[in-house]
Amino acid sequence: MAAPLVLVVLVAVTVRAALYRSSLAAFISERVEVASPLNAWKRVVEGLALLDLGVSPYSGAIFHETPLIIYLFHFLIEYAELVFMITDLLTALALYLAIQDFNKVVFKKQKLLIELDKYAPDVAELIRTPMEMHYIPLKVALFYLLNPYTVMSCVAKSTCAINNTIIAFFVLATIKGSAFLSAVFLALATYQSLYPLTLFAPALLYLLQRQFIPIKLKSKSFWLYTMQYAALYLCSLVVIICLSFFLLNSWDFIPSVYGFILSVPDLTPNIGLFWYFFAEMFEHFSLFFVCVFQINVFFYTIPLAIKLKDHPMFFMFVQLAIISIFKSYPTVGDVALYMAFLPVWNHLYRFLRNIFILSCVLIVCSLLFPVLWHLWIYAGSANSNFYYAITLTFNIGQILLVSDYFYAFLRREYYLTHGLHLTRQDGTEAMLVLK
Amino acid sequence: SHIVLMLADDMACNPRNPKPATVFSHKNMELNVYGDDVEVDYRSYEVTVENFLRVLTGRIPPSTPRSKRLLSDDRSNILIYMTGSHGGNGFLKFQDSEEITNVELADAFEQMWQKRRYNELLFIIDTCQGASMYERFYSPNIMALASSQVGEDSLSHQPDLEIGVHLMDRYTFYVLEFLEEIHPASQTNMNDLFQVCPKSLCVSTPGHRTDLFQRDSQNVLITDFFGSVRKVEITTETISLDRDLAGFESKLPKDELATEPLKYAEQLPVAQIIHQKPKQKDWHPPGGFILGLWALIIMVFFKTYGIKHMKHIF
Repeated sequence: MAAPLVLVVLVAVTVRAALYRSSLAAFISERVEVASPLNAWKRVVEGLALLDLGVSPYSGAIFHETPLIIYLFHFLIEYAELVFMITDLLTALALYLAIQDFNKVVFKKQKLLIELDKYAPDVAELIRTPMEMHYIPLKVALFYLLNPYTVMSCVAKSTCAINNTIIAFFVLATIKGSAFLSAVFLALATYQSLYPLTLFAPALLYLLQRQFIPIKLKSKSFWLYTMQYAALYLCSLVVIICLSFFLLNSWDFIPSVYGFILSVPDLTPNIGLFWYFFAEMFEHFSLFFVCVFQINVFFYTIPLAIKLKDHPMFFMFVQLAIISIFKSYPTVGDVALYMAFLPVWNHLYRFLRNIFILSCVLIVCSLLFPVLWHLWIYAGSANSNFYYAITLTFNIGQILLVSDYFYAFLRREYYLTHGLHLTRQDGTEAMLVLK
Repeated sequence: SHIVLMLADDMACNPRNPKPATVFSHKNMELNVYGDDVEVDYRSYEVTVENFLRVLTGRIPPSTPRSKRLLSDDRSNILIYMTGSHGGNGFLKFQDSEEITNVELADAFEQMWQKRRYNELLFIIDTCQGASMYERFYSPNIMALASSQVGEDSLSHQPDLEIGVHLMDRYTFYVLEFLEEIHPASQTNMNDLFQVCPKSLCVSTPGHRTDLFQRDSQNVLITDFFGSVRKVEITTETISLDRDLAGFESKLPKDELATEPLKYAEQLPVAQIIHQKPKQKDWHPPGGFILGLWALIIMVFFKTYGIKHMKHIF
C-alpha cells in the first residue's frame, strides 16, 4: 500500500506547489470561505509583526491564534508553505494509519458477531469483506489530500490545517488505544479551537469498547476509566494553558481566543450561520442568541452518545460534521476533514437516499459562493441575502448529508440484526423510516 | 501687493441681488465694497479648508496660476482676514460641510514660519467665538484680532430690507469705517485698531493677542499690513554690497524695528532624518517556555513509547 500512497502524496504536493507559485494563491488567500478571522494567515503575520514591534499581539482585535501557534511560526515563518504542505501530509498519513487499524477492528468485530450468530441469516450481501476494505485507507488519504477544499485551505495557508492535523492525530491515537496520547491531542485540539471538546465522548466510548468495559451507568469500572480519561484530558489542557501563559507572561490570550470564539464579535461573512443573524439582531437579544447558537453545537453530543454508543467511530464522524457545520467561524478546511471520512462508510451506498441531490447541492453552492460574493461586494447588484442564501443552502446540504449517512448506518445495523426482508406482523413488506 | 481673495458665495452676481455687481456696506449705498477692481481668486467650491491651507503653506500643484498663490517670502507682512461663515469654539465652518480648527491654523502658521514665508502676520477674524481661533498660535510674529470672545456671538450690523439680508457684520463695518480714514502716510498704530468697535457698538467684546509679536503694538503701524506700504530709503551715497554687512546696518536710521535679530525656527536637523531608527530587537519566546514545552513533549514521547528508549539515547 505504500506505493499508491506515495503516488497520491506526490500528486498532492505537486498540485499545491503549482498553486503556490501561481497568481491564484493571493486570490484564494483573500476568500472569506477559506480564511476566517480565527485562522487567516494574514493575521498570523500581523501578530508576529506586532510582537517584533514590542506590542502584545492580543492587544488589538486582529490576532486570535493561540500562543503555541505564535511559537511555532516564530521560527518557521519563512518556510510557511512547506509547513502547511507537511501538515496536510501528516494529516493524510495519520488518517491512513488510523483507518487501516480501524478496518482491522471492524473486521474483527464482524467476525465475532458472525460467530456469535448475532446476525440474521439473509444478510450475506451486507457483510463486509477484507477485499473491499483493502483500498479504503488509500481512498481516505486521497479524499483528504486531493479535495479542492483542502487544497484551497493549504494554498491560503489557513491554520485550520494545523487544527485538522491535531484532530487526525487524536483519531489515530484513539484508534490505537493509547488513552494518554489521545487525551493529549484532544487537549491540544480543544486548546486551539474550543469545539473539539465534544469529541471527548466518542473517544471515551471507543476506548471503553476497546478495553471491553461495558457502558453501564452503575458499573464502577466504567466510571473509573471515565474519570481517568477525563483527568488526563483536563490535566493536559490545564498544563498547556499554563504553559501558554509563560510565552507572553499574560493571560491576554484567553479572552482573545476563547472569548472571541464564544462571543462572536466579528461578523465578516463566512460559510457559517452566525454572521447574518448577529448582523441584524438587536443588541438586547444578542447575548441570548449567542448562548443558543453555542449550545446548539454542544447539544447533540449526549443524544448521539446514547444512540451510537456501540459505534463510536461513526459517532466521531457525525460529531466532526456537526462541529464543522455549527461552529462560529467555519471554513472549507473544516468541511474537508469530515469529508475525508466518507470512504470509510462507502458500504452504506445502497442505503443513501439523497446522495445525488446532495452532492449537486454542495458542488453548486461551492461554485456559487465566489459568484455571489462578487455580485454583492463588487458589482453591487446583489446584497447580503444572496450570499446568506447560498450559505444556508450549503449548510442544509451538509446537514442532510450527515443525516443521510446516519440514516443509512442505522438502517444497515437494523437489517444486520433483523434480516434484509422486513415484514410487519401481518406479513406485508415493511419499510424503515428514521423517526 | 498681492491679494488672494476666497469667496464661497457669490453675492454680487447672485441672481437674487437686486443691485447686481455691487455689495454695499450700508443701505445708504455709499460704499460699494465690490467695486471695479475686485478679483476673486478662489470662488464657490474652490474655497475649501484644503485650498486655504495650501495657499498658506505653499503646497500648491505646479499648474496653479500665480494669482492663486501667496508668493510670500521672509520679508513679507501678511494680513489674513477671515469672516462670514459660522464659527464655534475652536473651529470655523467652510462651505457648510467642513471645518478648519484652530490647531490646524496654528500648525499652518508654524509651517509658514519654518519655511520663512512671512516676516510678520496679522490675523483678523470676524465670526462667532472668534477669539478661540487664535488661542492656539505658537509661532512668533503673529498678531491676532477677533470680533468676539469665546462664548460670545458676533452680530451683524443692519439689514437692508430691499435686499432682504444683513449687509455686513458689525465688527467688519466698524473696522471698514476705521480703515477708510487710513492713508498710506498715516501713523496710526495697532492700539487704535484694538479700540475699534467697543462693546457698546459691537455687542460682542473684540479681543486681540500680541504676546507672540516681537514689537510693541504701539509701535506697529497700520500701514505695515494695510495699503501695501513699503519702506523705501532714498540715499545718494553709493553702498558697496559686500559680505560684511555690519557697516551697512549702522548706516540705516534708527527705526522702530527691534534691534535683536529675528530668529527662525531650527530647521529639522538633517542628520536625524537620515539616521535610521535603530532596528527593534526581535522578540524571542522566553527560555522558560521553550524548556517547559520541550520537556512536556519529551515526557509524552517517553510515556507513550516506554522508558526503555532512554537507555539507548543516553
